[in-house]
Amino acid sequence: MKLEIQNLHVRTGEREILHGVDLVVNKGEMHALMGPNGSGKSTLANTLMGNPNYEVTAGRIVLNGEDITEADPDERARAGLFMAFQYPATIPGVSVANFLRMAMNAGREEPIKVKEFGALLGKNMELLKIDRAFTSRYLNEGFSGGEKKRAEILQLAMLQPDFAVLDETDSGLDIDALRIVSDGVNAMRSAERGFLIITHYTRILNYVKPDFVHILIDGRIVQEGGAELADELEEKGYEWVREEVAAGAA
Amino acid sequence: MPLEPSPAQPVEDSASALVDDRRRAALEIYEAEPLPSWRRSGFWTTTLRGLDLDALEPKRYGPGLPELDLGDDERAALIVQRGASVVHTDLQDERIVVMPLEQAVVEHEQLVREHFAKRLPHDEGKFSAGTAAFWTGGVFIHVPKGVRLEKPIQVVWLIDEPGTAQWAHTLAIVGELAECRIREFFLGSDFEGQALHSGAFELYAHPGAQVDLAHYQDWGRGEVYDLSTRRVEIRRDARVKWVPIHLGGRLTRQTLDIITAEPGSDMKHTGLYFTEREEHLDLFTSDRHEAGHTTGDTVWKGALTGESRASYEGLIHIIPKASEVDTYLQTHSMLLSPKAKGDAIPSLIVEVDNVKASHGGTVGELDPDQIFYMMTRGVSRAEAVRVMVEGYFEEVVQRLEDPGLEELVRRRVAEKLHGAEDQVREFIGERAEAT
Repeated sequence: MKLEIQNLHVRTGEREILHGVDLVVNKGEMHALMGPNGSGKSTLANTLMGNPNYEVTAGRIVLNGEDITEADPDERARAGLFMAFQYPATIPGVSVANFLRMAMNAGREEPIKVKEFGALLGKNMELLKIDRAFTSRYLNEGFSGGEKKRAEILQLAMLQPDFAVLDETDSGLDIDALRIVSDGVNAMRSAERGFLIITHYTRILNYVKPDFVHILIDGRIVQEGGAELADELEEKGYEWVREEVAAGAA
Repeated sequence: MPLEPSPAQPVEDSASALVDDRRRAALEIYEAEPLPSWRRSGFWTTTLRGLDLDALEPKRYGPGLPELDLGDDERAALIVQRGASVVHTDLQDERIVVMPLEQAVVEHEQLVREHFAKRLPHDEGKFSAGTAAFWTGGVFIHVPKGVRLEKPIQVVWLIDEPGTAQWAHTLAIVGELAECRIREFFLGSDFEGQALHSGAFELYAHPGAQVDLAHYQDWGRGEVYDLSTRRVEIRRDARVKWVPIHLGGRLTRQTLDIITAEPGSDMKHTGLYFTEREEHLDLFTSDRHEAGHTTGDTVWKGALTGESRASYEGLIHIIPKASEVDTYLQTHSMLLSPKAKGDAIPSLIVEVDNVKASHGGTVGELDPDQIFYMMTRGVSRAEAVRVMVEGYFEEVVQRLEDPGLEELVRRRVAEKLHGAEDQVREFIGERAEAT
């Protein structure tokens, strides 16, 4: 089981943002995709999930052997792909609990039993230190930045996808919230699941240790390595990567 | 606007004489007036050009209870008018009066004399005159002083044959400190051809009364023209919650007025509409404060599909002597099809200082980001649209506080959305490409 990104070129409007990205996430692996602002990180996340604002002009996305490049977002989700949004949408009139139940049932033949759902929700809310009253609020309506991110990780925990893309889940979190969210992600780590953590900063990687680190600059992956690459980046900054790339090209 | 109460009639006039005099005066106006059209903000016009009025007639029926889905089988009373005839009356609670208005004119002389047409002048245009002149059957409701009803009073106006002209009048009187729920249903079968419902509704909430009022309109696919005026007068310390629901009709032109007439009166007005196909909905509502220390709260939400048109104009009017008023009005309209057109116009006339009044209006579309978000959780596009629209309406539906009726509204909205799925998909697709 793996998520393969093959020579992916992506355009939004008239501008090409990704110029041939290759990346493979096997199940059981934790990958970090790092890059400065405007490098194309969120474009990659959104394209993986099938956001209609982004157009794939070349290349493929293959999930567990199946080409999903043209699939609708709901088909990708049902095939086992998940994204935690950087800026999740507000869903007025739909409570967190109802939304979760609807999402879980979307991927099932038989609707989940009320008791089973309740128990699972209780367990995951405890894990993420979420208050009970939270579940009756409309999803993301009036949520603080931290609450939104926790609600995303709660969905991840409930939906148990094969592959999860976390788009800047660490941004806007204070250190306590970051720790809670990281604990949630670590609890979800398993030999049966692959992760792609997309981030600008190395901060979250102090809590969630990646197996692989990829650096994306100007729509291309320019450097790859293990967890030590993130440490090096932390020390030297993205300018160092740019210089390395320039030196390599020369 | 001639909303002031008419001067009291001399006591010697019987209720029947009052009704008959009004009929005669109204008939003259009806015959003199041309077919009206309504213009708004320069580009919005409601005309009756498509209506063949001469081909319609008040159809009479014998007694019988047609099959109805009213969301709630528990009731204090049910009265059904089909075409021009009251065909069924079922009174379960002897403390109240629910009967044809024709009968009440004779049997409840004094109440009728004191209230009939007090807030409904017969000279507000061709169709209000027509209704005053031609109404038959009619509905009379009296909940006497101090009576508290648990179950609703249900009124049904049914049109199930093309060619029907239904001239309607409902008079509802809720006595001091009485409490009740009143639901009026406007139902049609999906016939082919034209019909007219020209209606008048008046409700008087006496001091301290608590009224929960709903109008549920679902004329179906028939070509029903609905031209109606509804007025609610709320007296001292009384409270009326009014929920009009519009789920269908070829052309609807309605004026809905709530008058908080004495200090301490309070109203909560929550409306909902869903238009489809070539339907045309033209609503004017007013929140009129005639006394100080009155409060109001108006929220309207609509959604449009097909090539439908919906215009909502809501006025807050606070007259000179009414200080210390606190009221607000919000209106939202959501376009679900590229060919639908809607507007939402809040307006304000405040003739006094020292009041709180605010208003706002929006016309929007489904947000493609929200649809995308839901789809990334495995929810299909059609389901996501349904959930978004239902969520959008939920605030209004919950204000019904009536599980049976709420369920009916949710189900009908879901059915209509299902019918419009292709258009909505196309629309969202277009929007996504445009961004």
